[in-house]
Amino acid sequence: MNLRFALRLFTSSLGKKTVMALSGLALTFFMLVHLAENLLLLKGEAAYNGWVDFLLSNPLIPLAELGLLAVFLAHIITGLWVRYENYKAAGFSKYEESKSQGGRTIGSATMIYTAFALLAYLIYHMMHFRFADHSIGFYQMVTEAFRNKVFVAIYVAGALALALHVSHGFQSAFQTLGLNHDKYFSFIKTAGYITALFMTLFAMLSLYFLLGLDAKFSSPYQQKVLETVIN
Amino acid sequence: MKLNSKIPSGNIQQKWDNYKFSAKLVNPNNRKKFDIVIIGSGLAGASAAASLGEQGYNVKVFTLPDTPRRAHSIAAQGGINAAKNYKYDGDSIYRLFYDTVKGGDYRAREANVYRLAQISNQIIDHCVATGVPFAREYGGLLDNRSFGGAQVSRTFYARGQTGQQLLLGAYSQMMRQVAAGTVNIFPRMEMLDIVIKDGKARGIIARNLVTGKIERHSAHAVLLCTGGYSNVFYLSTNAANCNVSAAWAAYKKGAGFANPCFTQIHPTCIPRSGEHQSKLTLMSESLRNDGRVWVPLNKGDKRKPSEIPETERDYYLERIYPAFGNLVPRDIASRAAKRMIDEGRGVGPTGQAVYLDFRDAIKKQGVEKIKEKYGNLFDMYYQITDENGYETPMRIYPAPHYTMGGLWVDYELMTTIEGLFALGEANFSDHGANRLGASALMQGLADGYFIISSTLPNYLANASFSKADIGDEEFKEAENEASARVRKILSSKGSKTPAEFHRELGDIMWNYCGMSRSEESLKKALSLIPRLKEEFWQNLKIYPNEDFNQTLEKALKVADFIEFAQLLVKDALERKESCGGHFREESKTPEGEARRDDENFSYVSVWEYAGDKKEPVLNKENLQFENLKPSVRSYK
Amino acid sequence: MENKGFSITLRIWKQASAESEGSFQVYKIDNVIADMSFLEMLDVLNEKLLKEGKEPVAVESDCREGICGCCGLVINGDVHGPDEHSTVCQLHMRRFRDGDVITIEPFRASSFPHIKDLVIDRSALDKIIAAGGYISANAGSAPEANSLPVNKPLAEKAMDAAACIGCGACVAACPNSAAMLFTGAKISHLALLPQGGPERHLRALNMVKAMDSLGFGNCSNEYECEAVCPKEIKISNIARMNREFLKANFLSEEEIEK
Repeated sequence: MNLRFALRLFTSSLGKKTVMALSGLALTFFMLVHLAENLLLLKGEAAYNGWVDFLLSNPLIPLAELGLLAVFLAHIITGLWVRYENYKAAGFSKYEESKSQGGRTIGSATMIYTAFALLAYLIYHMMHFRFADHSIGFYQMVTEAFRNKVFVAIYVAGALALALHVSHGFQSAFQTLGLNHDKYFSFIKTAGYITALFMTLFAMLSLYFLLGLDAKFSSPYQQKVLETVIN
Repeated sequence: MKLNSKIPSGNIQQKWDNYKFSAKLVNPNNRKKFDIVIIGSGLAGASAAASLGEQGYNVKVFTLPDTPRRAHSIAAQGGINAAKNYKYDGDSIYRLFYDTVKGGDYRAREANVYRLAQISNQIIDHCVATGVPFAREYGGLLDNRSFGGAQVSRTFYARGQTGQQLLLGAYSQMMRQVAAGTVNIFPRMEMLDIVIKDGKARGIIARNLVTGKIERHSAHAVLLCTGGYSNVFYLSTNAANCNVSAAWAAYKKGAGFANPCFTQIHPTCIPRSGEHQSKLTLMSESLRNDGRVWVPLNKGDKRKPSEIPETERDYYLERIYPAFGNLVPRDIASRAAKRMIDEGRGVGPTGQAVYLDFRDAIKKQGVEKIKEKYGNLFDMYYQITDENGYETPMRIYPAPHYTMGGLWVDYELMTTIEGLFALGEANFSDHGANRLGASALMQGLADGYFIISSTLPNYLANASFSKADIGDEEFKEAENEASARVRKILSSKGSKTPAEFHRELGDIMWNYCGMSRSEESLKKALSLIPRLKEEFWQNLKIYPNEDFNQTLEKALKVADFIEFAQLLVKDALERKESCGGHFREESKTPEGEARRDDENFSYVSVWEYAGDKKEPVLNKENLQFENLKPSVRSYK
Repeated sequence: MENKGFSITLRIWKQASAESEGSFQVYKIDNVIADMSFLEMLDVLNEKLLKEGKEPVAVESDCREGICGCCGLVINGDVHGPDEHSTVCQLHMRRFRDGDVITIEPFRASSFPHIKDLVIDRSALDKIIAAGGYISANAGSAPEANSLPVNKPLAEKAMDAAACIGCGACVAACPNSAAMLFTGAKISHLALLPQGGPERHLRALNMVKAMDSLGFGNCSNEYECEAVCPKEIKISNIARMNREFLKANFLSEEEIEK
């Protein structure tokens, strides 16, 4: 077996981009699952904690966590590497008067900023939830955080950064993987924007608890509506 | 000057095969010992570099711009002819040969043209194999369209960018040889002189346009693929960098210059808009299929075209040439437009244009149909003139476009200097006095891909070469001369810029040696040009830095154009007949049409340099027509 | 105001050579005519400077009909000027008004070394082509042209990609100075045609390798290149290059050269 080709692949520009695309898509998928889990908060303490307990009972979870970490690292390290090379090729700003030629979007132009914001947020998030005291119960821990204005402000900012990041990253990943055709590329772009919109649900969820809407909607009828939405 | 055209024996169909069999070859192992210098990277230069590189020669290509892909072949729009007869409409090699010789008004060498027609089919095969995306039919086979001067459909095309696609094809083949190590590219270099040793071309002197350094390069053969000299008219459809300098340097070193007065004026160009104009843009002549050409009936009619009633319009081409109407050949259409303008009936702000009107075609076919056929041309017209051709008639005017004349070459494409070859538009060989549409691309690629790769080995194998080193006296001397010339220009302290001299030369050439020429006008030009030359060397304004200096580049070109213009006019004066693109007022039919004089002028004029102070010597290569009978062209 | 001249102020990047520091120089120019092309306006400026004994601005152009790819400037931050999908030589002064201040910069990218003022060196693009932007077929060896039918829509797509004029605007407009659109266009052109088939894997591997080694940046899929391309070459060509490259890496039988 000759693995030189793999080394060559992943040190090439397109190979690095492929790593970015695949890890980005994996992370997007992870975030969608994460969102679905969070939405269980709406169903109440029993449902949410039940799901978390079920997850934690799986002996493979530490392995999955490591995998997730690897994907994150791949995305971050390759991203920084690519960004460094781009800096070498073009500097920070090429022209005295820099303006968009018509291709850029807010999402694409802010990619590097949202990336750093997300990295910072990620560390904050991990310290807040992953490496925290879980004894009061997961539901309690999360909803308590969601009732804290400062936390929610940071959380909302993180979610918006994520949405912006995904709004460009999603279609970008498909383009990088060569999945662009005039026939369906606009559909991929739309799917990217919808996925980005989904990411804002994180923010909405936190606001939902901050504004105390969970108490308001706890009547049996509303519960039913929410259940149908979630299911 | 000895003119031996070296036409092979045998009947016309067999000459090329006979030649190839009798030619000497170079052993594959010996080829890399031969250095070939190619000047220019257009269709001829790039394809020659590719084919010679493939054979294993050591090739150096010199080109003006930053990359060889920018040569002006890239601007050719229409297409490339070949005798494939894919339409099965009666085409054949012989018919392409016939059309080309006739189109050239019987002033081309039969054997060369026949070879060109033979090779035309190989060119298409090779271009397709190397990835040129020619237009295709739904069945996947190649498509053809019709072009002027032929009754068959034999033109292969890639949208309106055929020249670009063929050039990029040849360029990519050349780059393949760069990767293989047989071809080296020297961009941003301008050849200043050719070095002759023991009577053979053995190298060049070239100036690095970035550093200003003058370099010597030795070679066993030098190929000039430097295009045409339409820019002698200042305004032409040629690119800004097109020049006559390399050919002129060759001429001064002893290469014969053939038929310089054969220049082609294209009738449908966008007219100039003012003094600042730097070039003229060509619009495909296909527009004349649907557009009607007219001028106001009355002199000095300054009304808007829409306000001029039908009865006060003169559709002069339809009036004078009822049989062909708006579709008369290029030279006829150009001259007719000039006559109208000379009568004071020109239109537009400068009065130097005629109308090309689509009103009737739009009325009949609808604007959508016209858009479909010519949309991109209307867009281009709009971009340049800010006028909507669908609503108001286009203004057009003839412009210098191509030069049939060039360095005299024999059947092997060798000039009268041993080891110095000329390919493509730079030579004179195949188009006689007028070139048919879609034939320039054919000739450039035939010369480069297929002819030189057979004829150059014959020269290399036969010649005995002494050692030529860039330290030799001949190189030193040539470099000294070249750098003295550069220094002389750099030290001028006058007040007129190179561009002003160029514009002035263009005015002289266009007014006195343009679309129609008379003894009087030519003599006038002959009296004006030497004065301009004198003024040039006394009153030139230049920015004096020695490295990157575009005014110096321009001045070097203009200096050569001025000297060359004198020869062009002299040739025009000597050729008292009208033929092809060359129209002499004294030689016309009672109706004012061109009259060729086969009895006295069925020859190629080959001019020989005799020194700066002496008149050039005229040599003649008599043309033999063994297969075709010269006949009169009529379009009425 | 048809033939009446107007005045503009030009801020032009002047830089004597690659090594020296550059800066903006301000020039005023009167009698600008709406029908002038942008390059003709610069001609007028340079004539004026030459007459005044000052050094003209080095600026490149050749065909002046939008096909040679020689001219290339950034005008008020717009690559090739404000007209969409156009080259500088096709831009006319009627796009500007009396009193306008126009900033002119050269195309910038680390892989396009500076030569002088507005002139740069784009020969890196040639090196990408030399790495594989061709079909290996010697002159005289080709089969009869119609022996290989080519699907017409594919031939048209190949032509779309082949229309590239090599001006480098894609690199100039790219925030990362990537040459992906240029390289993708050539890989696409040859991959779409059956003639390009035998070499497609090696071509993709070698051209991408050359592109990387020449210091061009990575694509971040912002599509600024597509927005400025004078020949409207689409980013689907970059996607095709990516596919070709990935396929070549995993499926090719040949080893990369060198």
